[in-house]
Amino acid sequence: MITRNKKFILIVLISFLLALIYFYSNYYKVNPKAYITNQGDNTVSVVNLNTLEVIKTIEVGIAPLGITILNKKNLGFIGNVGTDDISVIDTRTDQIIKTIKLNTAPLSLTSSPDESKVYVTDWFKNNILVISVKKMKVIDSFKVGKTPSGIIFNEKYNYLIVTNRDSNSVEVYNKNNKLVKKLATGKHPFGVYTKDKYFYTANVYDDTVTVIDLENWSTKVIKVGAHPYNILTHNNFGFVTNTVDDSLSIIDLKINEEIKRINTGETPENLDLHLELNILVVTNWGSDSISVYDLKNLNLIKEIKTGAQSRSFGDFILQ
Amino acid sequence: MRKFILTLIILLFSISIFAHGPTPQKVQESVTVNVAPAKAWSVIKDFSEFKKIMKTRSFDDEIMKIKYELLKADVPFSDYNAYIIVKKGANDNESVIQWTARFYRVYKLNPPIPEGQDDATAVAAVKNIVGPGLANLKKALESK
Repeated sequence: MITRNKKFILIVLISFLLALIYFYSNYYKVNPKAYITNQGDNTVSVVNLNTLEVIKTIEVGIAPLGITILNKKNLGFIGNVGTDDISVIDTRTDQIIKTIKLNTAPLSLTSSPDESKVYVTDWFKNNILVISVKKMKVIDSFKVGKTPSGIIFNEKYNYLIVTNRDSNSVEVYNKNNKLVKKLATGKHPFGVYTKDKYFYTANVYDDTVTVIDLENWSTKVIKVGAHPYNILTHNNFGFVTNTVDDSLSIIDLKINEEIKRINTGETPENLDLHLELNILVVTNWGSDSISVYDLKNLNLIKEIKTGAQSRSFGDFILQ
Repeated sequence: MRKFILTLIILLFSISIFAHGPTPQKVQESVTVNVAPAKAWSVIKDFSEFKKIMKTRSFDDEIMKIKYELLKADVPFSDYNAYIIVKKGANDNESVIQWTARFYRVYKLNPPIPEGQDDATAVAAVKNIVGPGLANLKKALESK
């Protein structure tokens, strides 16, 4: 009788434990999500990329713009240019877990490959701020060229790359924050992207993209649509948002030429990919929405309404 | 109609520079007119004045949308880009004309922001153009 009772209790306990594990694994099971900064209404729209629906709207600081997602750490860093601070979101619960005061406007953000640091461009004072993810505070800063805009980390060379919008140049820093190279770009470089040994700047004023080879610093210029804002690449193709044309330029990177143009919403600004779902997401500032495209054929899958003036300058998709 | 065109002309004399400080501003307003969309569109797109003085960015007959850069004069905003779109109204003889503008304040550097060059001033100034502009357009279209 006693052994039977013990056995029963054991079974109950194990079942309970299993249920608990099941519950928690599901609770913390992270869906692929896009985090859209809505500069017009001080929120972030969380979009479930499986169901293609906004599942939550998070109140952040004033005028959120820049963003970077730390996939391994399940964190999202949002730069609020109106309140001069950063909202840190736990992407498992989609709640703000910390607000980091900066006392200057954070324009764009990117993380180191190991996600121990987040770099922030300080638009007004021409600095790069270095945030320790562990300490959740600024631990270092260094001077850069005028109006630092886009920022990205090149893993292959351990370089930090920053566009200087008002001096028509781009700067490359090593991991000790020392300037390695400063190069001329097209007029008003804004967004920047890097992969392998190349990086790319979107030059707003002269409707071009500059391609720079980190091995020998050679540069090429590609003509795109009107007022390009940002760029990313995937396989042999580049995708560029043309803000005034309401379109996306598709570049063949083997020949460095635009080969196709597709329509977006109004004033497309930024873009990111989800590799497993094979989709490309574009934020449309003018239509307060995002456009989701199938990367296979570049067909529009869905346009999803977000908050007002959606921007998401940076990487905004949780893989 | 004349007032509408005049409003536009006043705005168009100068050079527009598209730039980007931290926060572009948006004004979006619409008006319902008792005119069929095709007719409203034909009037809007055929402003010869319109075409001469502004930098038309795109022109789409199919969706009845004109997108342009406004060449601003001495106004308290900068880098103005806008579009006007004609949509179907509640019935065949009704259309909705929507005007959306994107622009920045005049002062784009580090605060403190000088008086009259801030976001609120820029938004108020553009609203003061878009609102009456649409009202005049409605009057002009309906009196035709």
